[in-house]
Amino acid sequence: MDSSFFFTADQLNAGYGKRQVLREVSFSLRQGCITGLLGANGSGKSTLLKAICNQLPHTGECLLNGQRLEDLNIRRLAGRVSYIPQRSGITLSVSVLDVVLMGFNPVLGLFRNPVQEQKKRAEEALAAAGLAGMQERDYQTLSEGEKQLCILARTMVEDTELLLLDEPDSALDFHNRYYVLMKLRRLVQEQKKTALVCLHDPGLALDICDQLLLLKEGRCISSLRPDQDAPQVMEEKLKQIYGPLSLIRCHDGQGQSRLVLLSDLSAF
Amino acid sequence: MKPFTVLHLIRTGCMQENREGRIKWILASAFAGTTVLFLASLFVGKYPLTLNQLLEKEEQALRVFLTLRLPRTSMALLGGFALGIAGNVYQTVFRNPLAAPDIIGVSSGASAGAAFGILFLSSGTAAVTFSAFLGALTAVLLTLSLAGTGREKGNASIVLSGIAVHALAQTMLMVLKLTADPEKELSSIEYWMMGSLGGITSYRMPVTVLVCLGALTGIFLLRRQVLLLSVEDEESRMLGVDVGKIRLMVLLLATLLVAAVISVTGLISFVGLLAPHTARLLAGKSRSSVMLLGGLMGSILLITADMLARGIAAGELPVSIFTSLLGAPFLLYLMAGKGKAYF
Repeated sequence: MDSSFFFTADQLNAGYGKRQVLREVSFSLRQGCITGLLGANGSGKSTLLKAICNQLPHTGECLLNGQRLEDLNIRRLAGRVSYIPQRSGITLSVSVLDVVLMGFNPVLGLFRNPVQEQKKRAEEALAAAGLAGMQERDYQTLSEGEKQLCILARTMVEDTELLLLDEPDSALDFHNRYYVLMKLRRLVQEQKKTALVCLHDPGLALDICDQLLLLKEGRCISSLRPDQDAPQVMEEKLKQIYGPLSLIRCHDGQGQSRLVLLSDLSAF
Repeated sequence: MKPFTVLHLIRTGCMQENREGRIKWILASAFAGTTVLFLASLFVGKYPLTLNQLLEKEEQALRVFLTLRLPRTSMALLGGFALGIAGNVYQTVFRNPLAAPDIIGVSSGASAGAAFGILFLSSGTAAVTFSAFLGALTAVLLTLSLAGTGREKGNASIVLSGIAVHALAQTMLMVLKLTADPEKELSSIEYWMMGSLGGITSYRMPVTVLVCLGALTGIFLLRRQVLLLSVEDEESRMLGVDVGKIRLMVLLLATLLVAAVISVTGLISFVGLLAPHTARLLAGKSRSSVMLLGGLMGSILLITADMLARGIAAGELPVSIFTSLLGAPFLLYLMAGKGKAYF
């Protein structure tokens, strides 16, 4: 195995009851990189994330910096891996600061409460996520974009090595998708995290991710690197999951090289 | 101090700009209100008591004060506080604003237990208290173990099992009522189910107080975990919470609280549902201070209801009549002011 890989999933099989969803999925991730997980609905993206964070029974193994994640208890796993759902399941009125402070739970004793220094760190994380001064706001009154940023701040204080995000863009508008994911990108690069992000929008994934894994019917059929692979090669690979399309390299207003994905309208 | 003045103080607290300061102000007002009502309650009742009589150590007055009035008022204080805290726990853990002790079968289990005690043990208070307590615990343990046998082990299965156990306990209660002697036993069962603090004496207090204090200490120590349980199970687990174990622990503590109180008072409606909502409407977000405020609101409601129950008519009235009569309009009053932001 290449030692530069920080996380490796090896031969993962998982499902719900008798229905097998994931079939022998293997891949590796590097530190400081965001890897996008692309696939049609039902291809097993969310199942893969749940299997990695041990929420779903599975065979095969996941190694994080040499440690088998399957051997860790709930607390130690939470100290090394964080999971960000599509929408956080916080349904009560609770302050933004309290939501972020939940991130310290793995390092706090059962009966202990966060100390002043941890509150300060939570406020700093909120500021880094772009929510400075909002610590006393009610989480329920935040916009969907702000909620995701608040959860991102919680992930910052968790300070885990592996971040798993399940379609963090699903409830966000065009601007906020980029805003939230660029914040994530900065966090991953600056703090040398490893991130696996499940995304619906391949255009966004091509813009943000260092590597993409393509999932079809529970199998990892291919991977691509947007900054290195030729557009024609990537186009052929993306066609396998999205059908007829064109991938074009062009330049945006700032002269930066970008990839644009166009669906083939005649196919519908 | 009249209840209106307490209300006014609390409402004034809501207008404070700084949130931390505001919560402290509301808490202090609720403490003051509880204390004033507690002191007032000591002197309300069929036997007229005055401070002078107590200071002059009149034997009869002292006996009434120490064996009846003080235990009864203390029970109203502790019982209301316990029901308020337990209600907060149930609503938070089940992520359901309508969750009340009966969601996992506590009240119906206690009722069936009390009826069993009245019919088969003795109509003496100790036997009824004991069997009601046992009935409540049995119902909840049955609910939790039934929920644990299914493939899905989340909140929904606990609530569904709770509904099944509630129905079962209600059926048992019905059968017990059918076999009861209509003159004596049936009326005892009905009266128990309407709730009253009339039977509280100093002899019945120690066990209840010990159980309540133990369970309250446990819940306050676990208050951060209670908040973490309000998040979806998967997310909570990924924050390092052993959801199954912690939920079981917290629910058992809350059940101990409710069972300890209603086994001596009979069913008391509305306090567990209303007190936490009142606290949240007054103070805003869910935090440990709101949990404490919910307890105090429970005490305020139960002490006031109990004063009315023993002071308004010639005979003693069931306390649940007044907890509902006072609680419902108060909740509507608060909703009128903040309802849109809250629901």
